Amino acid sequence: MEGVGQPAKMKCLEGPHLKQGPAKSCVSLAPEKELVSASQLEEEEENEEGEDDLDPDPDLAPDPEEEEEEEDEKDLGDPAVLSAVHNTQRGGLSSPGIKIPDVLGMSPTSLHFLWQTLDYLSPVLFRPKFPSANSPACHFGHQLLLPDPSLFCSLPTSWPPKFSLPSHLTQLHPQHQRLLQLQQHSRMQSPPAKKPWSQQPDPYANLMTRKEKDWVIKVQMVQLQSENPRLDDYYYQKYYQKLEKKQADDELLGRKNKVESLKLVTPYIQKAEAYESVVRIEGSLGQVAVSTCFSPRRAIDAVPHGTQEQEAGAASSQRLQVLHHIEKMFLQLLEIEEGQKDGPPEPCYSEQQSNQVEKLFLALKTQEQNNLEEAADGFLQVLSVRKGKALVARMLPFLPQNQAVSLLLAITHHLPLLVRRDVTDQALQMLFKPLDRCISHLTFHELLQGLQGLTLLAPGSSERPVTVVLQNQFGISLLYALLSHGEQLVSLDSSLEKSNSDYTTWTDMVVLIAWEIAQMPTASLAEPLTFPSNLLPLFCHHVDKQLVQQLEARMELAWIY
Amino acid sequence: RSFFLPPEKHLVLLRDGRTLIGFLRSIDQFANLVLHQTVERIHVGKKYGDIPRGIFVVRGENVVLLGEIDLEKESDTPLQQVSIEEILEEQRVEQQTRLEAEKLKVQALKDRGLSLPRADTLDEY
Repeated sequence: MEGVGQPAKMKCLEGPHLKQGPAKSCVSLAPEKELVSASQLEEEEENEEGEDDLDPDPDLAPDPEEEEEEEDEKDLGDPAVLSAVHNTQRGGLSSPGIKIPDVLGMSPTSLHFLWQTLDYLSPVLFRPKFPSANSPACHFGHQLLLPDPSLFCSLPTSWPPKFSLPSHLTQLHPQHQRLLQLQQHSRMQSPPAKKPWSQQPDPYANLMTRKEKDWVIKVQMVQLQSENPRLDDYYYQKYYQKLEKKQADDELLGRKNKVESLKLVTPYIQKAEAYESVVRIEGSLGQVAVSTCFSPRRAIDAVPHGTQEQEAGAASSQRLQVLHHIEKMFLQLLEIEEGQKDGPPEPCYSEQQSNQVEKLFLALKTQEQNNLEEAADGFLQVLSVRKGKALVARMLPFLPQNQAVSLLLAITHHLPLLVRRDVTDQALQMLFKPLDRCISHLTFHELLQGLQGLTLLAPGSSERPVTVVLQNQFGISLLYALLSHGEQLVSLDSSLEKSNSDYTTWTDMVVLIAWEIAQMPTASLAEPLTFPSNLLPLFCHHVDKQLVQQLEARMELAWIY
Repeated sequence: RSFFLPPEKHLVLLRDGRTLIGFLRSIDQFANLVLHQTVERIHVGKKYGDIPRGIFVVRGENVVLLGEIDLEKESDTPLQQVSIEEILEEQRVEQQTRLEAEKLKVQALKDRGLSLPRADTLDEY
């Protein structure tokens, strides 16, 4: 019974029966007879309480017979006391011979009240100041303690019961548990200092017994148990992981290491066997609403009628379709990421994962369009939505290079359009990092294809795409990355210079871009996310000195801004 | 001398927007609550007023959230407590201005051929 038996940790857990030292107070030493008798009283009172729905807690101490054997022990450990109390609730005691001693001068009802509140064993928060608790015998009948049942009451503050959660029932994240403990400690330490405690007992405290509370908590906790908490309870887990990490970082910085991290407690209770969602009673029509702990108010299943609403051409419906599509793909992506577990996303190793990725890519690229044009269009529509950008950004690391390249090329070919559509979201930046990685593996030919999309004049427009691109942060970063990679390829492989057509194209493009940059007013030049160091040398190779100087001025100035 | 911890006060927010403050005496797995010595607190701007209500039994489905009130910090508030009559009057005034604004909005939308779903049915979505 981990929850209750933590007197060591809880400073205020000074229930007389729990203290083992010399400061033992009256009740505990009262020969165990007391306990038994009082419990018997309680048994009479509480027999009518409905305990039928509760399983006997498996980790509660012994059954009645054993309990009586322990009677003679002077030292009551927690389990014995617990069992005394709880056994009464089970109506398990059978000790009719013991009468309530009259010695105490207490009426049975007040004794009962005493025990009822003792029910509430865990966070016992009272601090009885027993001035002379040392000599037990004399305090019998001492008006200080026993006749004053109010001493033991007023314990509603374990609401929600923080410490007393039986360990086998709870599955709190260790960080969460630690927090709760801290809260409780601080609560217990501060009140005596600050708030004047009331003099009157709270007669309504503990209307719910310990067991009842535990039961409710158990019901709620069982619902939380899952095979896959990372998936089912994502936010809770992530929050406490983050908290833990932060604390670990703090500790690294100098704060003393307070606690070792605990292992997550695995659930003790087996989840109830699959409940039947639909209960059919023979001979009756329809379904019956069955109330279980998973669905206390279950509605009868209504058969869904899927109506396909065809609204051709409606802009809103098309947007809805795109959004819907993005959601479906996101689910696939989440599955893939989940399969990856911890660690950076890599192109997958397992076959199952490869299949998943393949499916996702196809979903993205083709979107059930036969026409290539429309397919590209679909892809662009996905990219026009913020969530779509996030989807692609997270998906890219999983894709094999050739597929990633095709996406990259689609993006560069339609970059001005994407930039225009990104005005509200300003979210293209999230694509930069994965694309940059892809770029670093491009072949020269692919690179040229990418750049060509940017330099060619679109039909019906006097402006080259580059102009628009240079004014956008994502665009310019992408452009610089491409140029930088090209320069790297050329400098590493001198044979490229020999393949004339490609190389000429390359130099032409570089010159063109350089010229465009020089033409652009510095204020319009966007600041790139990264500035590759080999760009200026690149331009030096291909353009005249004057232009280079202009470029230098512009690029560096723009960068500083 | 003997000391007792004062019982904890809880604050419950209901789905209809009411705020109840009282001592939580009993719960069950549906979050049905029994509140003792409950007070309904109405907030308007920086003012608030408490209406004593006695014992409340709240059906779980109507509970939005429930929290514990730190008794020490309770008195530490920038809000000003006023009488019940005053707060009810303030509430009425606030409601009225809101309704009028709403009416204008609905009219403007109607002029453009649009309509808002009714607020009381929104809850189901």
